[in-house]
Amino acid sequence: MTPLFDYDENREAASAAKVRALEALLIKKGVLGSDSVDAVLSHFETVAGPFNGARIVARAWLDSDYKRRLLEDTPKAIAELHFPGMDGAEGEHMKAVANSASVHNLVICTLCSCYPWPVLGLPPYWYKDPVFRSRGVREPRAVLREFGVPISAEKEVKIWDSSAQIRWFVIPERPANSEHLNEAQLAALITPEAMMGVALVPAPPAA
Amino acid sequence: MKLQHYIGGLENLGPVNLEKQVFVAKWEKRIFGIHTVMMAESTHLAHALPKYPIAQVPTTFKETWTWASLRTGAEGMQPFEYFKYRYYEKWLMGISQFFVDRGYVATEELAKLTEHYCANPDAPLPEQPNPVLKEQVVRYLNRGDSGLRAPVAPVRFTVGNTVYVADPEAADHTRLPGFLRNKKGTVTEVYPGAFEYFVSTGPDGLAGPQHVYCVSFDASDIWGADKCEPHTVIYADLFDVYLKPVH
Repeated sequence: MTPLFDYDENREAASAAKVRALEALLIKKGVLGSDSVDAVLSHFETVAGPFNGARIVARAWLDSDYKRRLLEDTPKAIAELHFPGMDGAEGEHMKAVANSASVHNLVICTLCSCYPWPVLGLPPYWYKDPVFRSRGVREPRAVLREFGVPISAEKEVKIWDSSAQIRWFVIPERPANSEHLNEAQLAALITPEAMMGVALVPAPPAA
Repeated sequence: MKLQHYIGGLENLGPVNLEKQVFVAKWEKRIFGIHTVMMAESTHLAHALPKYPIAQVPTTFKETWTWASLRTGAEGMQPFEYFKYRYYEKWLMGISQFFVDRGYVATEELAKLTEHYCANPDAPLPEQPNPVLKEQVVRYLNRGDSGLRAPVAPVRFTVGNTVYVADPEAADHTRLPGFLRNKKGTVTEVYPGAFEYFVSTGPDGLAGPQHVYCVSFDASDIWGADKCEPHTVIYADLFDVYLKPVH
């Protein structure tokens, strides 16, 4: 954990005990089953997660027709891959945008934490933190520098604020010297951060 | 002006936190899970797309619980409190208070059992599986809860139109980012169909199905040319009621 969360020990212990007490009471009262919360958590380990987004992006890198279809009609192109649950919760209406030599995209939710669950899973802490949500729309290049991503003043920055039904994600640029990699090897390079626009995909180690 | 509606654009907050973990403490997983189960067994899903068999799910939970419930709670917090607590700490506060307010859980029994788990962190949870509810949870996660509806009004704007953003009364809850109020933008996409938000937001204006537009804003039109970075465009998806024509 980062120092921001270094509260006195009781704060975490108290929250841990309270959430356990709440879950126990809700099970006893028939609001939840003892297997309900685990069913949610297991969905995000096996069905919905950044492993889907990474495979979609890798496919788009390898097949420019697929990339075109993905940008034109994101849900339809994702459906071609037959992954389960791709129009499920928080993915009912998704759209992909592509980085290029002249454009860098950044996805944000200034009002809360909207995130494309089926393809990216659950949002990392930085995405939900008020500091990113504040500064991302005002000084995106300064924020990106803090993430280690230098974007020149000449390159256009497009920021997508997820304020209604669309859940956005980014097709990052394919790294140089990756021609020898197959889809699975390419997918392994792609992080959730790259698919939100706060990271680039690094060049793979030389073959 | 409610601070939570105006997070976008606040200055002087210091460096961004680069923490990449989803859950920064183990307990956070459980409150996320509880919230998601509540959404999956919410009574409103009987009328959602698809029509879920909620009445057949054996649960004592008879409430509407959506993202709007959680967001309204967070937007209703005193702003200093909002910034004081971490993301899932706010969820835990809001959700436990909801169950107390709605009479599912008594304050005293929650406090007493919390003490028990404080003293015995590894004490087990009751073992009472609910396979039918579990099935509904999985169904909800895989099929979602789309707000897509048939339009009830004509489209007011087309791609390329210049629009102004409205400045409705600050209500309990909004889907209009504060930093866009009264700003000028350009419609870049008219989404097919109409979308109904989970709840009416009263004087804020969301009610029933509305068209949604993607609107682009030049950063200099929002922050001022000398107060923003160059070559920066902000896109937001805005419900019809939040837009005004330029006359």
